[in-house]
Amino acid sequence: MSHILSAQNVNKKFGNFHALKNVNLNISKGRIVGLIGPNGAGKTTLLKSVLGLDSCEGTLKVLDVDPYKKRSDLMKEICFIADVAVLPKWIKVSQLLSFTEQTHPNFSLDQAKQFLSKTKIKMEHKVKELSKGMTAQLHLAIVMSINAKLLVLDEPTLGLDILFRKQFYDNLLNDYFDNERTIIITTHQVEEIEHILTDVVFIREGEIVLNANMDELTNSYFEVMVGQENLDEALSHKPLTIRKVFGKHIMLFNSTSREVIETLGEVQRPSVSDLFVALMQEEQA
Amino acid sequence: MNSFKALLQREYWEHRGAFLKTPLIIGIVTIVILLLGYFTTERFDQVMNSGQSIELGGAALQNVDPKLITSFIDAFMLTTGSIYHFVLFIILFFFILGSLYDDRKDGSILFWKSLPVSDTQTVLSKLVTAAVVVPLIFTACLIISHLAFFVVLSFLLMINGANPFTLLWANIDFINNWGAFLIGCFAQALWAMPVYGWLLFASAFSKRRPFLLAVFAPLMVGFVWYWYNAIFEYNVFKIGVFKTIGILMAKATTPFTSGLGFDFESIDFDASNQTNLELIKSMLNGLTNSSIYYGLIFAAILVAMAIYVRRFRNTT
Repeated sequence: MSHILSAQNVNKKFGNFHALKNVNLNISKGRIVGLIGPNGAGKTTLLKSVLGLDSCEGTLKVLDVDPYKKRSDLMKEICFIADVAVLPKWIKVSQLLSFTEQTHPNFSLDQAKQFLSKTKIKMEHKVKELSKGMTAQLHLAIVMSINAKLLVLDEPTLGLDILFRKQFYDNLLNDYFDNERTIIITTHQVEEIEHILTDVVFIREGEIVLNANMDELTNSYFEVMVGQENLDEALSHKPLTIRKVFGKHIMLFNSTSREVIETLGEVQRPSVSDLFVALMQEEQA
Repeated sequence: MNSFKALLQREYWEHRGAFLKTPLIIGIVTIVILLLGYFTTERFDQVMNSGQSIELGGAALQNVDPKLITSFIDAFMLTTGSIYHFVLFIILFFFILGSLYDDRKDGSILFWKSLPVSDTQTVLSKLVTAAVVVPLIFTACLIISHLAFFVVLSFLLMINGANPFTLLWANIDFINNWGAFLIGCFAQALWAMPVYGWLLFASAFSKRRPFLLAVFAPLMVGFVWYWYNAIFEYNVFKIGVFKTIGILMAKATTPFTSGLGFDFESIDFDASNQTNLELIKSMLNGLTNSSIYYGLIFAAILVAMAIYVRRFRNTT
């Protein structure tokens, strides 16, 4: 198996609306991929196809199978959290764990209990009695107790406070991730996850506009603080964006040679969110 | 097979109130009515006859023909059974209607679908719950309620000097009455299968209000069919669609779908006019009716459509 996920010319139309346009994407084992795009860009549509929740045109293989045709088989190897708080409200925690144990061959009940023992969640609680953050903790505990090859997280922390969000990603990274596993995450809070990503995929209006790993990004995008004296020269290198802070200009460059850029001022790695904003604006211009 | 068992268990967990508590509450209500009836009679008796009537009545019961007592008890057991049958259908109607809709409404479908359970299994688990599991629970609850009722009645008899064992317990035909109820449940399920199938499809398909789709779509078809025939064929008597719907609903809601033919003339609504053995016989005879098999084929198509829709409809 070469890739965990491979998409070739994947298209999806809703009536006249072209939600995915010729998406080509390969994700290999052991990566943490951030799928980033504005609202309505097609992130969720793409993930739904990947998870077998909806059909699509083109060739889409996840773990070498067609997800829409073999969703139930695929779910033995994949787990996902789509949206926050989708656990059924009426169920008790103990029932939820028992149901998962009976239906999922790769679920470890002991491990789930161990994760939950570190939280305030009790076995006899019903999901509707839990706060939104605790529901997310419970869902994460279940998902982390499943020995899966691919984990897909679609806005898993939307609406949670910063403490829960931080803890969520800490748990994910420390207790779950290893090089045998692959994670795909979408979120609007890019800055909170960028330090854990190995790859980023930007998607805009159904098209993939950037697909790179973090090293490539560091080697081809530079953020430079340009002083007044170098302003004209810097502008001649065609920066992607310019921000003005404390009388200095912060410019973002896409360049192959770091040496040239370094002469302009202090060079930093741009944040993914700045890069995202820049690329989205560039496409529109 | 383990996951199918888990799916059935899941339905029970979610709907324990409707599946278990409702039939038990009906049982409690019958006992309360018995006690109210008894104490009211006793009060009147105390005031008017200084308590002699009940005493004399109790003694007189010893001389009643046991066959007559048995037929009274049968009438009681079959009538309460009828109530259970009717309530069972109402509960199943709303259960199935919500079964593939509620989890889309609250988003929990995204959790259920993250488990390795196929949509076919999910949809079939709802159908098996409706056709097998809930009828079994209802039968068990009916048995418990009847037994509790007879125990209370025995106390009342004993207080008044009658022997409940010779008078009551020896004359109860448990097997045939409870058997009639259980067979009645399954006969009802078989007849109602096209209705269940349609409700499953409506539940899986509907975007806003499954109830409106489930109820008004067939009525619309009936109207269109009727007026088409009235206007273009000059036939104002073609009520085919309405008739089919009417008979299906009659079959599904009538207790002990006894001997009902597939035409209005032979519908016999009064199950208590028959003895339990006659009932069982007529229900089994009903199953040889060929229309039941057309109904099952129709139901299979609808269930397949429900599974098909369930695969891609994840939201409301």
